Amino acid sequence: MKELNNRYNSLRVHFVFSVAFSFLFSLSIFAQDGDINNGKKLFNTNCAACHKLEQRLIGPPLKGVAAKRNQEWLNKWIRNSAELIASGDADAKAIFEEYSNIPMTPFPNLSDQDIADIMAYTDADPALFQKKKAEVVVVEVKPIQTYYTEVIIAVIIIVLLLTMVLFKLKSTLNNLNREEQKGYFDELKAYLAYLVKDNAILITFVLVISLGGLYAFWEWGVGVGVDKGYQPIQPIAFSHKVHAGDQEIDCEYCHSSARTSKTSGIPSANVCMNCHKLIQEGETTGKKEIAKIYDAIGFDPATSTYKKDYVQKPIKWVRVHNLPDFVYYNHSQHVTVGQQECQTCHGPVEEMEELYQYSPLTMEWCVDCHRTEEVKMAGNDYYKEIHEQLSKKYGTEKLTVAMMGGLECGKCHY
Amino acid sequence: MTPSMFSPSTSEVIAKFVEKYPTAKQVSYDAVSSAGALDAFEALYGNRALPLYNFAEARTIVSIGADFIGDWLGGGYEKGYALGRNPKQDQMSRHIQIETNLSLAGANADDRYAVKPSEQTSALIALYSIITGDSQIFKPTSIDPQLKAIAKELKKAGNKGLVITGSNDKNMHILAMKINLALQSKAMCVGKPVYVKEGNDKAVQQLIQDMNSGKVGALVTYNVNPVYSLANSAEFVKGLKKVSTTVALSQFTDETAKVMTYNLPSQHSLENWGDAMAVEGEYSLMQPTIRPLYDTRQFQDDLLKWMGSDQDFYSFMRENWDNNILSAKAGATWNQALHDGVLKLSLDPVMPTLNEVDMIGVAKSASKVFKASKGLELELYMKAGMGNGEMANNPWLQELPDPITRTAWDNYLTMSAKQAKELGITNWNVSNGALNGDKVELKSDGVTIILPVFIQPGQTYGTLGLALGYGRSEGVKDAMMTGVNAYPLYKGFNKYVSNVTIAKVEGEHEFACVQLHHTMMDRDVVQETTFDIFKNKDKEDWNPMVALATHDGVKPVSKIDIWEAHDSSVGPHFNLSIDLNACTGCAACVVACHAENNVPVVGKEEVRKSRDMHWLRIDRYYSSDMNKEKAKEEGLSGVTGSIDMYHQMEVASANPEVVFQPVMCQHCNHAPCETVCPVAATSHGSQGQNQMAYNRCVGTRYCANNCPYKVRRFNWFQYNGNEEFDYHMNDEVGRMVLNPDVTIRDRGVMEKCSMCIQITQAGILSAKKDGRKLEDMDIQTACSSACPSDAMVFGNINDESSAIQTPLHDDRKYYLLESVGTKPNVMYQTKIRNKNS
Repeated sequence: MKELNNRYNSLRVHFVFSVAFSFLFSLSIFAQDGDINNGKKLFNTNCAACHKLEQRLIGPPLKGVAAKRNQEWLNKWIRNSAELIASGDADAKAIFEEYSNIPMTPFPNLSDQDIADIMAYTDADPALFQKKKAEVVVVEVKPIQTYYTEVIIAVIIIVLLLTMVLFKLKSTLNNLNREEQKGYFDELKAYLAYLVKDNAILITFVLVISLGGLYAFWEWGVGVGVDKGYQPIQPIAFSHKVHAGDQEIDCEYCHSSARTSKTSGIPSANVCMNCHKLIQEGETTGKKEIAKIYDAIGFDPATSTYKKDYVQKPIKWVRVHNLPDFVYYNHSQHVTVGQQECQTCHGPVEEMEELYQYSPLTMEWCVDCHRTEEVKMAGNDYYKEIHEQLSKKYGTEKLTVAMMGGLECGKCHY
Repeated sequence: MTPSMFSPSTSEVIAKFVEKYPTAKQVSYDAVSSAGALDAFEALYGNRALPLYNFAEARTIVSIGADFIGDWLGGGYEKGYALGRNPKQDQMSRHIQIETNLSLAGANADDRYAVKPSEQTSALIALYSIITGDSQIFKPTSIDPQLKAIAKELKKAGNKGLVITGSNDKNMHILAMKINLALQSKAMCVGKPVYVKEGNDKAVQQLIQDMNSGKVGALVTYNVNPVYSLANSAEFVKGLKKVSTTVALSQFTDETAKVMTYNLPSQHSLENWGDAMAVEGEYSLMQPTIRPLYDTRQFQDDLLKWMGSDQDFYSFMRENWDNNILSAKAGATWNQALHDGVLKLSLDPVMPTLNEVDMIGVAKSASKVFKASKGLELELYMKAGMGNGEMANNPWLQELPDPITRTAWDNYLTMSAKQAKELGITNWNVSNGALNGDKVELKSDGVTIILPVFIQPGQTYGTLGLALGYGRSEGVKDAMMTGVNAYPLYKGFNKYVSNVTIAKVEGEHEFACVQLHHTMMDRDVVQETTFDIFKNKDKEDWNPMVALATHDGVKPVSKIDIWEAHDSSVGPHFNLSIDLNACTGCAACVVACHAENNVPVVGKEEVRKSRDMHWLRIDRYYSSDMNKEKAKEEGLSGVTGSIDMYHQMEVASANPEVVFQPVMCQHCNHAPCETVCPVAATSHGSQGQNQMAYNRCVGTRYCANNCPYKVRRFNWFQYNGNEEFDYHMNDEVGRMVLNPDVTIRDRGVMEKCSMCIQITQAGILSAKKDGRKLEDMDIQTACSSACPSDAMVFGNINDESSAIQTPLHDDRKYYLLESVGTKPNVMYQTKIRNKNS
């Protein structure tokens, strides 16, 4: 069984207990000679591609099939259905025709006991195996609160209070010394006048303010158009963590054009359907999110068929990584020729529940890599001569993109 | 009613349609007709086609009014022509043009004779009489002695001689073909007929008659616009009223669609399936490159539907190919043909039998068609950009300066300087340099048009020229409704109009002319020499090395460096060579560059302010009667003398020699623009490209001021999505043609030719991906791949096998303004004229 992720650890414990508990019952209730656990394993490896328990897929639903057919017939059918049909068995023929003449894959390797185990599993109460519906934990995302204003106000108040206290203290001391008394604000004014009179202090003050202002402006300026951390809400709660992380699906399985073209490409819904024709229910969001693919492409999960004349709808994915128009970037250059991992720029996507922009995608960031990254020239005939010439020119075997002219403006800006 | 389609499967559909509805008839209509040539071939060989002309085989080409570099008989002859004009071979073809307007072909000719249209007929009959020995009567011409010499030359050339005519008269074409047959010319092949033209003038006129007499029940027009382009369009419209069902299949609600009952939007050819057979036994296939943008259906599908067929045109075409075309070649399959795009059956030319023709009658009727008259004679022509006006909605073509007049956004009456002087008509430049001109009222046979006059060197005295294809009023954007419609003058599909009178009228016209100076003022901006000198003299005599005096003595410019030279030894280093002998000035490269690089269209007003954005222009220079040598002879010296000399140098000859020189960024290795940019927005690349980082440019325009070639363009406005510039960048469909690999430049930045860096980089990437060396095929720039005559060669000079090596080491090589010391990466090849020696 697939490991559940940490978020549902507690659920998992419940689940394991309940399954184990139900097994005890099921074993005692259905006194069949099949091993349900083994049956489930066999079912998942051999049958699940075409059969479901309750629903028609490519083949018929298998729930309670043992009650409909006798063991001997089932053994024959499963090991070689074609033979059974050829022998003229009426039932076999009827099923074959009902399911659009698609022959069932023969399983001559399954022993009688194996088949009995599978039957035991198909007969077992499905409730025992159904996970408790995972409650979707809605995490309220609060905006990160900044308390700058409050802090500043508090500091000012404290400073004011302190000066007042000090003033009070001073006046008390003055009183003790019987000196002439001045009001608090008069004192403050006098002090400010003193400050302004002293050029050194004034200049320092102005310098600090203006340099500070410039720095703040610079910081703001260089951040314009830098969307690091951008994480838009997508139309389908697609989890890269589940697909790329847990299931270890290769990035380029879905983003195949990254190898060959400028863009990595957003997979079309039919790529989703390669798997989701069969996987109709997920572990985190159940059927809800997958149903959105079906809605877009026009697929009926109940019958596992595509709807005829369905007006397909686009899935309006929100683009996360977007370079400005004046820069040219090509995925295949980096993925195929440069042999870079996707993660180099996109970060730990396999850990991202929801995708966000990991890198700043600034020119500085590009150039840093072009300055340091060694070009993988070995085995590529294009570089054969160039490598030789450049090695001689720079006196090193380790050649960077920059050494090949990769820092010229026109290499990316045209 | 269809245009020329030369599509075997479409013909098949129409044949099936006629089978189903036996009273249906197809009428082929070409707005600008080539029916004379078709009729002539039919008269001689019984097949309505054209002979296959191969100009590469010809050593002496005599063209009588045929602009074969323009769109004579469908065009496509420049490649062969340029091949024959390669002076590397022992012999270079000699091209003699006898014509009225200065055409593209005339501009390329070695000898050009300016004659009136009425003289063209006599000239052809004279050549026929001398060469075949079958003397026919003709009126004397102004070039009789020259004609004798030309005939002699043709006879000497024998089967390497070629005579063609630009007339749309059947008899003229018979005469020309008969001359070629007498010469046994290898350049004219009748055994491989060409089918690119189908238009039948008689059938069109018959249709109009039938419509008016109520014999036509339904008319379906497809991709033709007779209401706009027929001289007797009023008759056509009158006849339409008697036709109960009228259906227009058109992409636009054009003039014709407006008056038809039903408009069925047809598709763009990029949305269509299609096939073609231009030459006997040579097929090509077209597949859609985009799904239909709108709810439309292609013409052939309409016909199939109306026949009650369930088949779509794609499957119909496949069936037709399987049954009739693929079966003719062993091993040919549909998939292979579709992959290749072409299928050539290796057919041997089949010599058709020659029919007897009464040549006396032919010569007589040829002379009759066009009689000399007291008034002026007018030749209607098509501009290289606009053609017959079908594509008037294309802003690229509107903005394309005509190769000869260098004027865009207009048509105008071309007139010789002598004539203009007599009539008191002038052209002048206003304070910002823009050209203005007088207007005249033109009258001919009941047609009156008010037109501007453009004074054109090379225009025959006593004649006028006027371009068709302008003056569209429906189905095009307002900005594209330019010029005047000249089709009312195109009576009987005859481009020569006699007895034209003109009178100057009030008002002045504003031209959009991009060139202010028309002669080279005796400087060698363009290097040229004659074939005789090229063959017999040392390179230093006709293409001397450019040298300058330095403190070290006189040194060739190539050896002088003020700055440290760029290292271009590692990786590719690109060079472009332009052979001025092969360049015909056709301007295909200008449009290709426009399309590839998202160059904005700026409109007439901005062009007048010299703010046109073309990254690549083709400079056209005329020869002048005055030069420094002549001035010396005439004793023009001193201050007044030399001022007089320079004034005269500015005036082009009455019948000038013409040179075309495409100029784009020269990608100097010592670029003057790079050193003056205050923000380093323009910099030098290791591949030889002068790069322009638009997002860095702050628009000081120092670079443009410092560029000796004047190739930098400044974005005075934001040209995309701007209502003031309502061209292709202002609507969603127009923007679909933009190249996604090239930035759209914003207001306030400089731009210029990038040597198609997006293509070189993509080519390098594909070589890297395949793990192989870079090849020429990977990196062809827009201009070099569009060049129909292979005048532009682009390649990597660090690659010994690159095609650029030949021009790089050619004696004809020169650099533009080499003495400036910019060391360009663009080179030119000296133009050679094959003058009679």
